[in-house]
Amino acid sequence: MKSVSPGSRREWSVLAVGIIWVLLYFGAVIVLRKPDLVAWQKVTVALVPIPPFVVFILSVISQIRSMDELERRVHLEALAIAYPIAIVLLMTLGLLEQAIGLSPDDWSYRHVWPYLPFFYFVGLAFARRRYR
Amino acid sequence: MRNRLRVLRAENNWSQAEVAERLGVSRQTVNAIETGKYEPSLTLAFKMALLFNKRIEDIFQPDESELRKVKTQ
Repeated sequence: MKSVSPGSRREWSVLAVGIIWVLLYFGAVIVLRKPDLVAWQKVTVALVPIPPFVVFILSVISQIRSMDELERRVHLEALAIAYPIAIVLLMTLGLLEQAIGLSPDDWSYRHVWPYLPFFYFVGLAFARRRYR
Repeated sequence: MRNRLRVLRAENNWSQAEVAERLGVSRQTVNAIETGKYEPSLTLAFKMALLFNKRIEDIFQPDESELRKVKTQ
């Protein structure tokens, strides 16, 4: 029987916690569309995805600590690419909001935040390609 | 920085994966060092020296142009 390495087990646990977090997030989005919820219920539902997200972040940190030095550098470079892109996006949206008044139905926080992990994965692809 | 990792690996008849396992790094890391895309930390360089029973300077040779930039006076 093939044994599962600790690194592989850690990757699967990160993926599993990540999936739980994403499912809870979209569950919260669906539940918050119901008009019959009172304010405290809405706030509670909105905060539900936070605990699994904290576990997700902790498991990602744990996985990064277990990586070798090149893999850590790749993730650092991915952040170095993603962070300025995120700043430019938020700055531009802020200026456009001032200039033409962006619609919150298209450009609120809930629409913009998925771009941030997307930028990270773009950065990761660039960084991995450099050392391939 | 130039290195003789590929030569030393061939002399020992080891694959990149074997060297990676012995050093406790990924195969991609060994490949990136071999191809000169990545310069290892001092710790990893010492591990390589230990693995191949060589001195660090027998494995890695700095570019002369880089050395000339050092102001010794």
